[in-house]
Amino acid sequence: MDIRQATIWLSLTLADLYHALTWPELSYVAVDPRGRVVGYILAKIGHVTSISVLRPYRRLGLANKLMKQSQEAMVAHYNASHITLHVRKSNRAAISLYRDTLGFEVHAMEKGYYADGEDAYGMRYLFTKPDSVE
Amino acid sequence: MAHAAPKHRQLPDKESKLFRELLTQYELKQYKKGIKAADTILKKFPNHGETLALKALTLHSSLPEPLTISAVPKKEEAEAMARLAIKKDITSHITWHVLGILAKSRKDWDEASRAFAMARKQDPDNIPLIRDSIALLTHTRQYGPALAARHHYLLLRPQIRASWFALIIAHQLNGDLEEAIAVYNDYQTTLKEEGATPPEKAQILLHILRIYIEAGKDEEGLEKLRQGVKDGVISPRGECTVLKAQMLSNLGRQDDALQTYQELLEQNSDNLEYYKGYLRNKGIDLSAELTDESRSKILETLSSFAEVFPRSAAPRRLALDFSSGDKFRELARAYIVKGLERGVPSLFVDVKGVYTDSTKMKVVGEIVEEIVSKLEKDASLSDDDSISPPTMLLWAYYFFALHISYPSQISPDYTKSLELLDKALEHTPTLPELYMAKAMVLKRSGDLLNAAYEMEKARLLDGQDRFLNGKAAKYWLRAGEIQKAEELLAMFTKKDLPPTQDLTDLQCLWFLQEQGDAYRNQGNLAMALKRYHALANVFQDYEDDQYDFHTYCMRRMTFGAYVSLMRYEDQLRSHPGYFKGALAAIELYTKVHDDPSITEEKISPEEEAERKKQAKKAQKAEAKAKKAAATSGEKADPPVPDADPTGIQLLKTETPLDDALKLWKPLERLAAERIETWLTGYEIYIRKKQYLAALRALRTAQSINPTHPALQYQILNFNKIITSAELPEQIKSVITSELPSLLPSSPAEFSQSLVAKAKSPEEIYYAAKGIFEVNEKDIGNAKEVLTKLANQDIIPNIEFMFKALELIEVKGTIEEVDSLREKYIIRCPSAWVLLSSSEKENKTKLYKEGIVGFQGQGETEEKK
Repeated sequence: MDIRQATIWLSLTLADLYHALTWPELSYVAVDPRGRVVGYILAKIGHVTSISVLRPYRRLGLANKLMKQSQEAMVAHYNASHITLHVRKSNRAAISLYRDTLGFEVHAMEKGYYADGEDAYGMRYLFTKPDSVE
Repeated sequence: MAHAAPKHRQLPDKESKLFRELLTQYELKQYKKGIKAADTILKKFPNHGETLALKALTLHSSLPEPLTISAVPKKEEAEAMARLAIKKDITSHITWHVLGILAKSRKDWDEASRAFAMARKQDPDNIPLIRDSIALLTHTRQYGPALAARHHYLLLRPQIRASWFALIIAHQLNGDLEEAIAVYNDYQTTLKEEGATPPEKAQILLHILRIYIEAGKDEEGLEKLRQGVKDGVISPRGECTVLKAQMLSNLGRQDDALQTYQELLEQNSDNLEYYKGYLRNKGIDLSAELTDESRSKILETLSSFAEVFPRSAAPRRLALDFSSGDKFRELARAYIVKGLERGVPSLFVDVKGVYTDSTKMKVVGEIVEEIVSKLEKDASLSDDDSISPPTMLLWAYYFFALHISYPSQISPDYTKSLELLDKALEHTPTLPELYMAKAMVLKRSGDLLNAAYEMEKARLLDGQDRFLNGKAAKYWLRAGEIQKAEELLAMFTKKDLPPTQDLTDLQCLWFLQEQGDAYRNQGNLAMALKRYHALANVFQDYEDDQYDFHTYCMRRMTFGAYVSLMRYEDQLRSHPGYFKGALAAIELYTKVHDDPSITEEKISPEEEAERKKQAKKAQKAEAKAKKAAATSGEKADPPVPDADPTGIQLLKTETPLDDALKLWKPLERLAAERIETWLTGYEIYIRKKQYLAALRALRTAQSINPTHPALQYQILNFNKIITSAELPEQIKSVITSELPSLLPSSPAEFSQSLVAKAKSPEEIYYAAKGIFEVNEKDIGNAKEVLTKLANQDIIPNIEFMFKALELIEVKGTIEEVDSLREKYIIRCPSAWVLLSSSEKENKTKLYKEGIVGFQGQGETEEKK
């Protein structure tokens, strides 16, 4: 799969458009050989709005790679100090990816964050680790 | 004020004060008070244009969103009042401004842009007016006037950095890159970048570099880039380095370019463009036929990258495209083994990219077959003691099953494919991917209903997974179970909306297309058209959504993304989603033209009953809502309902060909390189009796692919029609002089040569169709040709078999259709669509009695 910066040419919804026209450096896509988007990360400075990989394209490490690209861009272009994201409390697979593979930590719990009433974990990753851990 | 207001605009002190209040109330959104103030003025001065305009604006702004039934007349009143205001005061910037705002809210960009231009004439230095006007001019692609307005704006606000930047972009959009660069240089000497934030400095510099590249000024651009990186204005990560690599490549500085691509690959070793850029600077032309020498050069490069970036599949995957023979076998085996070991579900989809080369397809099959047989005997692939992961055999079955049932196989083996997947399921019965694969294999065999049942099993294994939910819905749609599909989709859509509405709002293209197709296949052409139009509307909405960004991006200074948005919008409808939906709708419109009787509704008694039930339900719901509203004391005021809920108004059009042409026009401009555009264009123009336009469509199609099967049929069709048409002398002479280049021999000879050459299913079908254009009655010959579709040495193709049956149904007798059907069914025993309608009905009934009885091995499978 081809991993590249997301451009207008690959977005077709208003949310993508808004991100691509506000923080063009931070969103990335994974594209299959036929040019179809099979995974993406939609991000703003210091925050991941959405990250997703189509089911058949799992086990390729795409989420990991997309996240790394977006993080490095945040530091290089905006000198970001940390990155946060929200995840459904029930989404164990995602929580494990963020925590065990990508080094995020849970820093907050937000009650009823999602439209259907489910709680969210707020997770955070610090780009420059402080000497003493809180 | 340079001059006093004209007499008819002047108001006495009391009303003048009220007028100012009205303005404030509008801005504070106190619409009720505003309207009251306006009415007080109008009582005394009913012809005061500016008051009328402001009342119209205030009234319009007070309307609910979305519009409710009771608000419709108010909206019409506001629109009429705004037009009246212009009549009463045609030289006021306010009356024109209001007219413009109302047009803008209707998304009538052209009228809005004209009204704003008029308003600016009356009040040239009004800043908000200029700003809105620039957005409208840009939106409607009037780049010259937009540039002039930007220039004017800069003169009024020279101290604001953004005015300079916006002028640079206006020059670029207007195609004057030199002037864009000149403005940038002026800006630097005038404002000296004082107070600009670091991201602002970076954004504008990066964009100037893009302009340098576009202008072909690579040398100067490179120097500016070097300086920018050195001063820390731009980060070398990402686009900056991409631009550098491009400039170095353009300048032919290969060594530096190689170094730069190397840096890019270190930033992102999964970007295919970076690898290709690297190879190009090694002096290899990737678009040309490769020599053995450049092949080995490519493979050597890729293999060293594969070592440096072990976690990236890209260099190893690219090598499969560039290798051949034994080298390919070796590389493909390693690639496949690695994927199977990791259990990568997309491995087959990934590897099948090489199947355009039939030798490679065969080799891949051999590799996987060997892996399967080895793993069935032994726990290991290699001779040493290492043990392969236990799931590897399962993924090998999965891969091999998808391989042997692949549509470009001459004899796809569905039965064996399903057996392999059942073996895999014995190993792991809870893996949704295996049921998905079974569904896909059954779909390929044409057994759409069993395919849907298998996909449903996959879905049930993980009900939380929206991807599986969508897949199952899609398979139900293909099996004609529209209701069932909607029920599934509703599990993931908004609770307070019908799923179709929510998915339309979400601009879910696949759903609109598939549901349209499902309705079409059921003969519900009205609903099919409705969905295809909803699909086309998604693109209109997307185009309209662009409007806010003309202002927004100048503020955010995301110039590169903005310019790329403008270029994207200009070719938006070349999107494959639009293409597919438009072609499907056009085909329906041509059918309606050919036989208007198909617009008459044919509904079965069950449907009739269902409709009555629905109507009763709706009535009940309405009564309930009314009752609820009455008890809560509020008046029920529902949103304006869909004026054409069943699509029947679309279908019953008086002008099907003009409607088709409307959908086709964007394709002519934006998808001109695709032959289907012209094949479809021909079908519209020939029916409109616009023979020269039809001829042009044929000639353009010919220039794209002179041997396209459908084109050959159309040439014969064109010849037949013009022979019997009465043509004006001029048109006749053009056609007679151009026709020989399309039709070099007599129609009969041409048709015979098509029949003789026909090898692919598509060629066979169109050769048969062509026969009728030469001799309307020659069913025997056409049928004989169509029989070939069932031959063992022709790839079985259900779509063309189905079309063939349709063709004979029109031209021949039912017996002729059935004898052809019989042959097709022997070749494709599971193909659902080939069954006669009575057989279909029987089967559906059997299926509906329960899932029992179709555990994958459908009865038709065993008939083989």
